[in-house]
Amino acid sequence: MTSTNSKPRRQFKLTEASLGVWSVIVFIFLFAPIIVIFVYSFNSGRLLAAWDGFGFDGYQAMLEKTAVTSSVWVSLRAGVFSALLATLLGTLAGVAMARRPGKWVAWFSVLLLFVAITPEIVDAVSLLPWVVFLGQDLGLGIFNDGIVRLVVGQSLFSTAVVTYIVRSRLVGLNENLEEASADLYAPPARTFWKITLPLAMPAVLAGGLLSFTLGLDNTIVASFVQVSGTTPWPVYVLSSVRTGLRPDIASMSVVMLVLTLGALALVAVVLKKSGDSASQIARTMAG
Amino acid sequence: MSGFRLPRPTLAIPAIGWLLIFFVAPVLMVLWFSFGYKPGIFASHANDKLSFDRYAEALNPTFFTTFWNTLWVGLAGTILCLLIAFPVAYWMSVKVPVRFRGLLLALVMVPYWTNFLVRTIGWQIILAPHGWLATALSSVGIIHGPLDILYTRSAVLLGVVYNYLPLMILPLFVAFDRVSNEMREASKDLGAGRIATLFRVTIPLAMPGIIVGTILVYIPLMGDYITAKVLGGAKGNMAGVLVASQFQTAQNWALGSAMAVLLIVVILLSAALAGLIIWLAILPFSRSRKLVIGMAK
Repeated sequence: MTSTNSKPRRQFKLTEASLGVWSVIVFIFLFAPIIVIFVYSFNSGRLLAAWDGFGFDGYQAMLEKTAVTSSVWVSLRAGVFSALLATLLGTLAGVAMARRPGKWVAWFSVLLLFVAITPEIVDAVSLLPWVVFLGQDLGLGIFNDGIVRLVVGQSLFSTAVVTYIVRSRLVGLNENLEEASADLYAPPARTFWKITLPLAMPAVLAGGLLSFTLGLDNTIVASFVQVSGTTPWPVYVLSSVRTGLRPDIASMSVVMLVLTLGALALVAVVLKKSGDSASQIARTMAG
Repeated sequence: MSGFRLPRPTLAIPAIGWLLIFFVAPVLMVLWFSFGYKPGIFASHANDKLSFDRYAEALNPTFFTTFWNTLWVGLAGTILCLLIAFPVAYWMSVKVPVRFRGLLLALVMVPYWTNFLVRTIGWQIILAPHGWLATALSSVGIIHGPLDILYTRSAVLLGVVYNYLPLMILPLFVAFDRVSNEMREASKDLGAGRIATLFRVTIPLAMPGIIVGTILVYIPLMGDYITAKVLGGAKGNMAGVLVASQFQTAQNWALGSAMAVLLIVVILLSAALAGLIIWLAILPFSRSRKLVIGMAK
């Protein structure tokens, strides 16, 4: 640095300003396609990409088209069931990892890691022959049901996410309360219900809501395992990419985005109430 | 504590069982298929003769080009994400007042939680030959005539950088957030310039976050299917699309399985190789730094 006082300061302001400008450009970049979808959801034309004029035709059409409304309904149901399942499996596994550690935790972590890093397309192509095998060759009729297939497909990654969130919350809290409960002769099951579960509750709720939004977004696995008649919303959109996108796709996407953001705002509130900092919340929500 | 205790992993057994049945078993089945063959037009696979022939087939020139393409997009996309996200995350965690940080984090989260497919469709509209970007660029005189980026490798690169950028910004933010201001001030007080502080204090301390961000972006990016499908067309094909087409249109499950296995192997090997190279590159620096600290004592 030079000896004069003003030069470093000016330089300082310049780097600061360029960092700010760069960040603003990046934020515009991040929001560009979302703004485009929002604007085009008010396109009164016939095709999504060809702007015709401002109107609410897209929003009207999305309510009238049964293909749209029923696909959203399928997504919501599959999302709720897969979130419940993933929360149940993930909470139990997360508690076990945090409270009953041992050599098995290393093996289980490797399994969870593989679930997390396997590309979704590989999950998709392997799950399709598998559910066909279970449903048709083994005659387990339940796997021919569209919703069941979607729930199975969506639950894998979500289970890993919930396990991770619940585990990291409990690892951060020490076992004093649970030990006190055991010392006071509470049976293990009662300690679990009265102490461990309430302690883990913020993580359980956050994990459940995250699973729900992950389920709503599931496109790749769903497009492979789906049964015609129970097409979920993202798969309907994917098939429309081939056959021609209409404005009502954008309109419903805006509605779904509002729904997802509502669920996520709830996650943030739950985590904040339980005392997480902004950066802890970011870590949890990024999975 | 006395009395009966359940074996340690008991509570995890439902999750373990579920993942074994619906994750491990299907993936093993695909591994098994990959050694088989397609017996005829109407059958998708057969396993009565086992061979590595499908792997050889998956590496023939046409498919190899696509794998190469995928690796190129994966590396270029990850590096671009890192370069773009680095200043943003640094700015958010160091320069922005604390009370605005939560809001900015939420803003990074919004695109991440918008449906992947829908944001990619947004780019399809922007990049259309006569779309917004084409109008804007031709009005400033950068291009003349329609914009021909859609359905090329460049469009896929732009799409993946966009789609995975939040996954880079978030861990970098967390990493920079952990490097306290006191550390930086101490470095300044000890006479280090701003550049020296960045390279010798901030970046080394943030390294775990940088590595996490790189992995979080690189791995799903390599397996990407939707971006390439919507923005790529024939010129911007990626391995994920190739795998899917073997199962959906060509109905050659044996070949598709071999490709899926290869995709995982390529991802793991390239990530391990990159880790090794970075480790070797950092090694001399970490030694010299330790030496400096030792001398300072």
